Amino acid sequence: MPPDRVTVVEQNLENYLATARPAAHLLASHEPVRPGSSLTAAQARALFEDQVLSRQLDMAARRLKARGVGYYTIASAGHEQNAVLGTQLRVTDPALLHYRSGGFMMARSRHLGSVTPTFDTLLSLCASRDDPIAQGRHKVWGSRPLGVPPQTSTIASHLPKAVGMAFALGRARRLGIDHDHPHDALVCCSFGDASANHATALAGINAARYAHRRGNPVPVLFVCEDNGIGISVRTPRRWINDAFSGLRHLRYFEADGELDEIWETTRLAIETCRATKGPVFLHLRTVRLWGHAGSDVETTYRELPEIEAVEDQDPLLRNARFLIERGAATPGAIATLLRTTRTRVEACEPEAAGRGHLASREGVMIPLSFDLDPDCRSKASEPIEVDARAELWRGRLPEAATAPTKRTLGAHINAALADEMLRRPEIVVFGEDVGRKGGVYYVTAGLQERFGQARVFDTLLDETTILGVAQGAAQAGLLPIPEIQYLAYLHNAIDQLRGEASSLSFFSVGQFTNPMVVRIASFAYQRGFGGHFHNDNAIAALREIPGMVVATPSRGEDAVRMLRGCLTMAKEHGRVIAFLEPIALYHEKDLHEPGDQGWLSDYPAQGEALLPGEAGVHGEGKLLFISYANGVRMCRRVARRAGLDARVLDLRWLNPLPWEAIEREASTAAAIVVVDECRASGGVADAILARLAERGYDGKLRSVRSADTFIPLGPTAPMVLVSEEEIEAAAREVTA
Amino acid sequence: MSRIVLICPGRGSYTKQTRGALDPNHPLVRRADELRAARGLPSLVSLDRDAPWDAAVQLRPDHVSPLIWLHSLLDAERAAAEHEIVAVAGNSMGWYTALTVAGALSFDDGFRLVQEMAQLQMEAPAGGQVLYPIVGEDWRLDDDRFGQVLYCEEEGVFVSIKLGGFAVIAGTDEALDDFHLPPAELGKGRYPIRLAQHGPYHTPLLAGVADKAAAQLGPLDWRAPATPLIDGTGHTHTPFVADPAALRNYTLGAQVTETYDFSASVFTALREFAPDLLYLPGPGNSLGSIVAQIGIAEGWRGLVDRDSFESMQNSPNPLVWSMRR
Repeated sequence: MPPDRVTVVEQNLENYLATARPAAHLLASHEPVRPGSSLTAAQARALFEDQVLSRQLDMAARRLKARGVGYYTIASAGHEQNAVLGTQLRVTDPALLHYRSGGFMMARSRHLGSVTPTFDTLLSLCASRDDPIAQGRHKVWGSRPLGVPPQTSTIASHLPKAVGMAFALGRARRLGIDHDHPHDALVCCSFGDASANHATALAGINAARYAHRRGNPVPVLFVCEDNGIGISVRTPRRWINDAFSGLRHLRYFEADGELDEIWETTRLAIETCRATKGPVFLHLRTVRLWGHAGSDVETTYRELPEIEAVEDQDPLLRNARFLIERGAATPGAIATLLRTTRTRVEACEPEAAGRGHLASREGVMIPLSFDLDPDCRSKASEPIEVDARAELWRGRLPEAATAPTKRTLGAHINAALADEMLRRPEIVVFGEDVGRKGGVYYVTAGLQERFGQARVFDTLLDETTILGVAQGAAQAGLLPIPEIQYLAYLHNAIDQLRGEASSLSFFSVGQFTNPMVVRIASFAYQRGFGGHFHNDNAIAALREIPGMVVATPSRGEDAVRMLRGCLTMAKEHGRVIAFLEPIALYHEKDLHEPGDQGWLSDYPAQGEALLPGEAGVHGEGKLLFISYANGVRMCRRVARRAGLDARVLDLRWLNPLPWEAIEREASTAAAIVVVDECRASGGVADAILARLAERGYDGKLRSVRSADTFIPLGPTAPMVLVSEEEIEAAAREVTA
Repeated sequence: MSRIVLICPGRGSYTKQTRGALDPNHPLVRRADELRAARGLPSLVSLDRDAPWDAAVQLRPDHVSPLIWLHSLLDAERAAAEHEIVAVAGNSMGWYTALTVAGALSFDDGFRLVQEMAQLQMEAPAGGQVLYPIVGEDWRLDDDRFGQVLYCEEEGVFVSIKLGGFAVIAGTDEALDDFHLPPAELGKGRYPIRLAQHGPYHTPLLAGVADKAAAQLGPLDWRAPATPLIDGTGHTHTPFVADPAALRNYTLGAQVTETYDFSASVFTALREFAPDLLYLPGPGNSLGSIVAQIGIAEGWRGLVDRDSFESMQNSPNPLVWSMRR
């Protein structure tokens, strides 16, 4: 049986130490490792100690796995030179790290005396409930005191938010919003050479360059840790250099060579990023030891001589040689360090493995709970200061409008945004065309004039970037209200909500949050105009995101109340909220007859707010329609026109669904029709019918839904959507 | 041979009951008394063994501190002969002992540090320390008691030491008189207890002492320790990395003027070294229950309360070993 590569690599270092001779002259702690170097002997030793600890924890991961008590073996082995970044960056520089960041984390821990990185890492490897960052929900590198929000990303999907945070640190300061970062903080994000090709990575890098080109400070340090291979696929030689070294508006540094050379290049990259407040790309040469993960048999795709050549580049071996030859350490001291580190890591393993795991489904889901603090209601109902409002509205408050007294959904959202921006100076509104143009439906009209370009601004045309900026802005203390121009455009970027924004609280047990209210112009019924991409009604991908609130108002007055509630939930509970605005109702005035103005409403008084669970009911009849958005209006029209003894439950909240209200209304309903304007297989109808059936509802149940199709252009569009005729037919059937 | 973390006691460990342990023939004891004589100070042996007990004499800082230091060093020597010391920590002035045990200071320099710091502290502004429990009889955190001290700094007193199940509050005499703590019992003790002959250590009130200490003791021969040292912030100074200047600056600066977080140092000892035993040299056993309370707060080896700790202590694998029970 061939020797395992972990043992080979360890043996290589021990063999070297057994034959190495101390340097003739040993350096004092403060002496540079080489004349002119800014790296001192003491710093070099500290780096090496951190790297040794990282390596020993990698070895522990494999021991724990072998004993059946460890659950993660992707190692930092070979990447330990990233400890240089951990040393040189400040704890106040947020660091969004990829999974081979053990060296970085050990070095960063040194900045704070009281953290315990050995035990913390072992707990995370064992998926322990005592893991201080994720309580066993994932093996992540993360720490609140160390300023490291956890990332689960293996695909560089954290780059857009790093860019967003770098942008937002300066923007928040400009707006006078407090955050814990000094004026020259930068944001570091690391990723591998393979994931550098990912669309999200490229989106992030592009956004940083774009923003900087426009004159915005974007102090982001992209660290590409290039080990030359992605699982089994080699990266073409010098590909990272080819791809990123020649880009304008991106400074490029390549760190390679001995420890002191990496130290100096890294220092230069960091100083450049700090000084220019512009994006910097640090290409850090690394190697990957022991394959991709514990289960990966590297010999199936790499020849042994190649594996051995990589092992010769082991940074611990190289650094040990460097320290000894430069006189910064002796072979004996390094051998002792290796032995004592291994001993103490091994001693900690049983305790970490014995700490237990989250023991229930409920326990796992605590960070996703939709339960709100009792005071969320009162906070949502707090009025805005009267004089400030009077000034904002120049004495013409929206609720006191006289000509006309009632207004549309779009106008009300516009007014509510203005009110909330007044109430909460940390709100920023951004997206494509939301600024000067005021949005394609004019829902953000006038906001930029009132609140300035710092708070209301246009982004580049990329939803991934918009949602990345939202996450970063939220982590910098702002309260973002990004706009996605059409629901169909969300889908290219939805992982920024699903995999990133919504998982942050889960994987950090609420220690990190990125509150936001994402406004999305949604749904169909635009009289054949726009085709699929402006009429998309696909909500399944949003509803299945754990912990995310999905709101959709049908009426203007509800929209105002719901927006107040959503922003309070975001602020107080760190929630990520999708606010789906029915395009077809933005400017709708009428309900039953042309000119009746039944779909207009008065602006709700200060203090009125709606929270999840609070559904609306229109009418009092025995037949219950359950619907939302456009469907609510259609049901009401049908009920009147057909003379039905019916009431309409407006869900308002698509996640979590307002179950209590549904069951309460169902309990007095003779029959129920669920009207779901979204796709038959992806809407809410299945969930509601299943629940009612399981709870023993004994009346007749029907649903009408739109078809499982993309939406065509022109007069055929209505044919694939729920129609009032279908609604009426279903109602007749259940009441017959 | 076990892997042990040695935890050196601070003031309060030396009492009428624990005195009398110094071996007059031990070379270190003889050397200490030579150093005392050179300063015109009474012999430690005589104070420890011969002189009648008089709290005003033996507990005077410039007598009791070197007595404790020396006693602990002798025990540490025995411990090192029997076990592998993987790290050293201390409580308050026990930090000076820890420095000496770990080899960061020579015996003579360690003596000078402990002796002169004690004398400097006698010149400190009037004030003192108050001991108050934050746990209940089960040694688990008592939220009400913890709440009594949580915001004490808003009332003009300081958290001097985070001491496991106790908080040590310090301040000027006037501030301590004004700071009301409701009576609390723990075991046989009734609290709050004003600690006799203790100054407002580990608070900004000692900034002047720190300045003098830096001038007076800065030139000692500070060295990298031979054994990892865990300080009163929970930070570990390792032999491979420790910067003697950083040790000096901490010892004569933040250690004097900022909270001594003994609990953090024991957390680090457990979580980063996982020793077989937390090993407590004398005098006395003043830290036994304290480190147990920290182990309970950490949940180490499944500890949840006093009963579970006592069961563990009676098992073949105790967590805490007191050399002077």
